Amino acid sequence: MAERFGQGGLSARFGRPFVTLVLVLTLLFLAFPVVMTFVSSFASDWFGVLPTGFVTLANWQDVIFGTGVGADVAVGSSLAYSTGLALAGVVINLIVGVPIAYAVARYDFVGRDWVNVFAILPLAPGIILGIAFLRTYPDLSTSGIALVIGYSLLKAPYMVMAVQSSFQSMDLQQIEESARSLGASWPRTFLTVIVPNAKTGIIAGSIISWTLAAAEFNFSYIVYSRGTPPLAIFLFNNITNASFLNAAAAVSVFFLLIALVTIALQIIGNRSAVRRV
Amino acid sequence: MATDHVSISTRVSSAARTTVEVLTSPSSERQREIRRIVSLCLPFTVLLLFSGVFPLTEMVRISFSESRLVTEGFTTEFYMTLVTDPYYRNVAFNTLWFAAATTVASIGVAVPVAHALEKYSLPAKSVILTVLSFPNSLPGIVAAFMIIILFGNTGVFTNAVAFISGQSSTDIAFSTGVLGLFFAYIYSMIPRALLLLRGTYAEVNTDAEEAARSLGATPLQTFRFVTLPQIKPGLIGACILVFRTGLAIFGTVLILKGLLVWTLQIDRELAQGFNIAQASAMATVWFVFVFGFTVLVLRYTTAEVSI
Repeated sequence: MAERFGQGGLSARFGRPFVTLVLVLTLLFLAFPVVMTFVSSFASDWFGVLPTGFVTLANWQDVIFGTGVGADVAVGSSLAYSTGLALAGVVINLIVGVPIAYAVARYDFVGRDWVNVFAILPLAPGIILGIAFLRTYPDLSTSGIALVIGYSLLKAPYMVMAVQSSFQSMDLQQIEESARSLGASWPRTFLTVIVPNAKTGIIAGSIISWTLAAAEFNFSYIVYSRGTPPLAIFLFNNITNASFLNAAAAVSVFFLLIALVTIALQIIGNRSAVRRV
Repeated sequence: MATDHVSISTRVSSAARTTVEVLTSPSSERQREIRRIVSLCLPFTVLLLFSGVFPLTEMVRISFSESRLVTEGFTTEFYMTLVTDPYYRNVAFNTLWFAAATTVASIGVAVPVAHALEKYSLPAKSVILTVLSFPNSLPGIVAAFMIIILFGNTGVFTNAVAFISGQSSTDIAFSTGVLGLFFAYIYSMIPRALLLLRGTYAEVNTDAEEAARSLGATPLQTFRFVTLPQIKPGLIGACILVFRTGLAIFGTVLILKGLLVWTLQIDRELAQGFNIAQASAMATVWFVFVFGFTVLVLRYTTAEVSI
């Protein structure tokens, strides 16, 4: 009994400081390298503990305008290409994701739980799907279509979940029945009453699946063959081939993109989605 | 026998006819509802078939193909290689223990962090939440770069230790070792685990915890006997999904190369002589293994799964 009290005293005394310490260390571990990357991208040298030679824009210039060495390209073309691919992926995600989210949220049917699992769990990760695409759609991979349909399958779960969280906060049955009793047909009810009401979730889901598609590396690396590299391949080329500080600037471009997306999500007020990104 | 066969086929065809009738000209409200559910699920099913099921089936067929450039014949040669060659057994072993170790570590970190976020009043909480969720949107290659920043040859940590101890920084740097890869894995897995556990923690009944505390239980006992049983389903679900994440990591290990894992070996099969059949066999094994254990766990535990 005395031993138990002793142990209890221990957890009462050190429990909270210990948990707080874990939190602080985790925050440092996650945030510190991000900050260092961003800061060092404006430095000209990094030989000691901290980067030196502030402030220079040379690294950013190399990334934004390209160095012209070998197959190196400027970030602009990769960013524009990935933006387009990811947007096309989002369009497909909207068409497939919103209806299935509604089916699961609104109706009760046999196998609903399994439909839900399939809709919110990625079927296969990027690298496995990439291998599957290599020989199945060899002609599509050079045009970017393979990337688009791959992205849309890989990121559909995020769209489904964001839209589902919007649907769950609505009284779907009541809304649907009111619209129907006022004379709207079911397709009209779905398109002009239900979908506009889930606007927040739909916008949040679009932003999230867009970001994750633009950032998808594993699938792009296997499927991409030639032409403009998608953003993630551009980052990879910079990390493996460019100078350290150039790579820092390239990664910083990506951080800025994520920061913009986070702010956009905060503006539309979907806080749970912000944490999910 | 023959009549049986006929009756079965007529029964099947009549059932098919009824289904088609329900979908084309529903006559009751229930049938109309079925039509709606089917049409709502249809777009997703088409995408799933076209970009998921069909390519994966092709992948399985290639892995049994005898010829290199076209899919023909049948051979289990590539699977026999996986089973008999000690090289591949070693790769499989690496993959499993490493994913398991990083899963345990990230859940071990995520539980106290989720606890602090839910129970303590923290300053600048929205900033903390943003920092903790930020890495969820970073691809693996960026996580690898973060580890190079910390523990690489010119890394902050490396140079700080070198400065204090006087050793050469290349002796201290461990970003390309197994330990570096370990940190890179948990860099992407902790935020993921946290996302899953925070949802679980939000549902914990705080009344029971307060009752336990006021009845004299220590914080540790309260956690062990009151909180833990409540978060257990979420904890199991988080373990499965984080383990899946760990098995699927590729970009990180492509850059750091600390340990030869399954996904890296798949890439090597392609890079060294485009051995697509062997790569497909490995991808098939990966898929069947992960799909199988996810279904089993969902079936036989109370695990709650969401992303």
